[in-house]
Amino acid sequence: MGATIKIPDPASPFPGLGVENEQGLLQWLAAVDHKLIGIMYLVMSLIFLLLGGVLALLMRIQLAVPMNHFLPPETYDQFFTMHGTTMIFFVAMPAIFGFAVYFVPLMIGANEMAFPRLNAFGFWMTFLGGVLLYFSFVAGGAPDAGWFNYAPLNERNYSFHSGIDYYAMGLLVSGIGSVVTSINLIVTVLHYRIPGMRMNKLPLFVWMVFVNSFLVLAAFPSLNAALALLLLDRQLNAHFFNTVGGGSALLWQHLFWIFGHPEVYILILPSFGILSEVFQVFSRKPIFGYAFVAASSVAIALLAFGVWAHHMFAVGLGNTVNSFFSASSMLIGIPTGVKIFNWLATMHGGKIRFATPMLFAIAFLIEFTIGGLSGIAFSIVPIDWQLTDTYYVVAHLHYVFIGGTVSGLFAGLFYWFPKMTGRMIDERGGKWFFWLWTIGFNLTFLVQHMLGMIGMPRRVYTYPNLPWYGTLNFISTAGAILMSVAGLLLVYLIWKCGRAGRTAGADPWNAYTLEWATKTSPPPMKNFEELPPVSDRRAWWEIKQKTNHDDNRK
Amino acid sequence: MEDPASFQADRINRLFNHFNIAAGAMLLLVIVLTLWFVIRYRRPEGDDSEGSQNEGNRRLEILMIGVPGLLLAWFFYETFTVSAAVMPSASPQRPPDVIITGHQFWWEVDYPGKQVITANEVHLPVGRQLLMEMRSADVIHDWWVPQLGNKMDLIPGNKNYLWLTIRKAGNYVGACSEFCGAQHAWMRIRVIAQDPADFNRWLDSNATAAMPPGDDLAREGKVLFETRSCAGCHGIKGTSAIGTAGPDLTHVASRGTLLTGMLATNEQNLGDWIDHPQRIKEGAYMPAFRFPPDSVKAIAHYLAQLK
Amino acid sequence: MQLVIFTEAFFFLCLIMSFIYMAYHTGFERRELSRLDIRSAGVYTAVLIASSFTLHLAERGYTRGKPGVLKGWLIVTIVLGAVFLAGQGTEYVRLIRDDITLNGSVFGASFFTLTGFHGLHVLVGLVILGIVTGLAFLRDRESAIGTVAMYWHFVDVVWIFVFTVVYVLPQFSSV
Repeated sequence: MGATIKIPDPASPFPGLGVENEQGLLQWLAAVDHKLIGIMYLVMSLIFLLLGGVLALLMRIQLAVPMNHFLPPETYDQFFTMHGTTMIFFVAMPAIFGFAVYFVPLMIGANEMAFPRLNAFGFWMTFLGGVLLYFSFVAGGAPDAGWFNYAPLNERNYSFHSGIDYYAMGLLVSGIGSVVTSINLIVTVLHYRIPGMRMNKLPLFVWMVFVNSFLVLAAFPSLNAALALLLLDRQLNAHFFNTVGGGSALLWQHLFWIFGHPEVYILILPSFGILSEVFQVFSRKPIFGYAFVAASSVAIALLAFGVWAHHMFAVGLGNTVNSFFSASSMLIGIPTGVKIFNWLATMHGGKIRFATPMLFAIAFLIEFTIGGLSGIAFSIVPIDWQLTDTYYVVAHLHYVFIGGTVSGLFAGLFYWFPKMTGRMIDERGGKWFFWLWTIGFNLTFLVQHMLGMIGMPRRVYTYPNLPWYGTLNFISTAGAILMSVAGLLLVYLIWKCGRAGRTAGADPWNAYTLEWATKTSPPPMKNFEELPPVSDRRAWWEIKQKTNHDDNRK
Repeated sequence: MEDPASFQADRINRLFNHFNIAAGAMLLLVIVLTLWFVIRYRRPEGDDSEGSQNEGNRRLEILMIGVPGLLLAWFFYETFTVSAAVMPSASPQRPPDVIITGHQFWWEVDYPGKQVITANEVHLPVGRQLLMEMRSADVIHDWWVPQLGNKMDLIPGNKNYLWLTIRKAGNYVGACSEFCGAQHAWMRIRVIAQDPADFNRWLDSNATAAMPPGDDLAREGKVLFETRSCAGCHGIKGTSAIGTAGPDLTHVASRGTLLTGMLATNEQNLGDWIDHPQRIKEGAYMPAFRFPPDSVKAIAHYLAQLK
Repeated sequence: MQLVIFTEAFFFLCLIMSFIYMAYHTGFERRELSRLDIRSAGVYTAVLIASSFTLHLAERGYTRGKPGVLKGWLIVTIVLGAVFLAGQGTEYVRLIRDDITLNGSVFGASFFTLTGFHGLHVLVGLVILGIVTGLAFLRDRESAIGTVAMYWHFVDVVWIFVFTVVYVLPQFSSV
């Protein structure tokens, strides 16, 4: 074997614990190891997934039949607000950061993140934000003006109780967590790569997380500004958004969507990264068109800041402004579409294995395409004028968030579960989960396209007995129940296989990237003692080929 | 989408159909390729070799960018033309035909120049290009009647405009389409599109003052209405009730539904609403007055004859 | 630190854009705008810019291995920064006495928010500079000076934009 590179210890000394050493709660509370923090993020995400899922199930039960009396309107309004806020900020973001802080250092051949204590700080701030938000339930009522919280409905005179203040505080606090973790990730990728791994040789997951981190740094300030101004309005009687006092309801929308639109790309790029890895490993091929996939994510990140007003086409900005944002929104569809074809082309000529991660990846292709196309519908302004604020939007956003983001996260979960726990997830259980989830998801949301087209607005706690409304809603609720069953199965699988699943070696999938190069699963506290030099995008694959080659020569 | 009944809805519907064809084709392509590759390139039993190590194809990439790009350019062109046709100008130079003001949770309908103010049911003439002005008295609402075309937000502090050319007479339903609070779900819209002659007749009959009470019970109801704070919020033309915080009730009995689409208009429902409003439309700003049952009956009886 | 500055720059961009939006959408009252004292604000602006120079001199003291120079100029920087904040404070007091408050008008809300958040960043900068100065006294050298200097210069640059938008531009526009 050629000369190896010694991987440096992290700046902070090791606490002298192995991941296997059980020190109970203290180990977790005091953790600065990126792997432990990664797991904490993922556990947090799962807990909030169950909470947000219960909220959704209750909402769907209320909507199962016309003029239902299961939930009173105020409660329903709190539920749909909390459901959206939870899923975006306390399920998807933590899951993304969890996978990122766990696997980015491993994939670049590092032993730690650049700032381990900052890493821990970021996690606890995110968690605190979630706690603050949910505390509102017992402190006078949860926020009830929607996750997008439009003005002036969000002002004190229309929303008297403090739910919205908790919403603002919770998001400000967890936003700090997101920003510092993104800074941490950027510095880690820039300065801790193993020599030989140039920036254009990064595994796509690392690249996507890297680009994504810049998006977070640029987008969250707009939300912070909006929330700060809102708190000034509500607590100190300023008049930024209060029309009565001279403020502007539209200013809130602009500030919110300048954050909100990049946010949805923040939620999808890391999943694109995970799926890129999964498509490669389970087709046994390198990604098709690496440069285009990488470049398109930069294009998306830049364009993301030029499309926000497509959420405001019905607000009366005028045809000129609308046309500009229509063009930019159509433009951003192109790099996204390019990626779909690249992933398809990756499967072409491959030797596809249908393990659970790959099933999610394949379902993603179709589901995300549906979501992407319905999104293009909205970029066509006159169509938006009919379909915005209807169930067509609800269908669209769930197809991109669940069909897109969550499919990627589930693929990542099943792909990386052996590395994180040292155990395989039972394939049969995984497939049951996949099919229950996928059938339930499509049943729930496919019909919602129709509901939007026949006139059902969104954010309504009930609806009149118009033709097809009851039937389609009932089908949707049936799908939601199926998804809930799948969710329970997931928890059971994680619990059972995490404790007693089949033992996994260091590299059960015969994969391509460096996280699989650690000596054990889960990795030892110090990820790598030393690694051979690398130069290929599939660094671990390159090392394995060289080793085989050398072995064969002996 | 719903059967278009206006020029605007028709143009948008056609555009939507074009889009569905293109999108459907794209989706079909992705589904076919996915299924084909998944079947054709699945790993053969016992085969542990790698797939063909094809790293990319620049020409194919350009194609994958170019074709969607051309399609989008076409749809951008259509966006431009249909937007201009449906919304010729955002700040029009002539006075509006009808002014809609959104309230939590009802619609105020004002026909300027005719001194007609109604609520919740909007009569409109067929065959003319109408200009509707949209305002809000409190939070953001949104006017949407799917069969009549595009929606438009009602934003406090702003005036928005909607152009409407209805082609077919009939009744059209819609709903508020911007979350506006607890009873957003029951801020529904009913548009009654009429031939111009019928419309003018309706307009004239609505410009009149309210019907005087026809019997003793109604008289008692009117007195109660004027003295027991109803008049503080509701107006009835020709009486001393000039409140504007709630819907105008001058011709309430001529409307098909109460509470913006929630209940049919009849004496029983009127009585129930006055008696226990928060149990019917929780969150609406109608206070629960706890009138004695006789008073409720009288007021309901009076209102029920205000055709 | 560059990344921190990157994200904070976007934050101030949003606040400045909101200020300008409020100026055009709702409009500020002439009476309130005229109460701003551009002359004294200009003096305090010069003080803040001077503090960037003195901090640069302190940095040079560090890189040339002259701890005395480092410590001396650090103290001057802190004093200058404190003078700036005191100046802002007197401006605030004067405006509030004149009935221009955060909750009183759109101008008040916009002015106090934009300058207030900037002032908060200056305060944080002073605290950090204080810590660095303390450490410099304890150890004679302080390698964090480079990073902290970046932050302080950023705060300075932001102020130039804020000053321009709040004090200078209204002199020329009809808003």
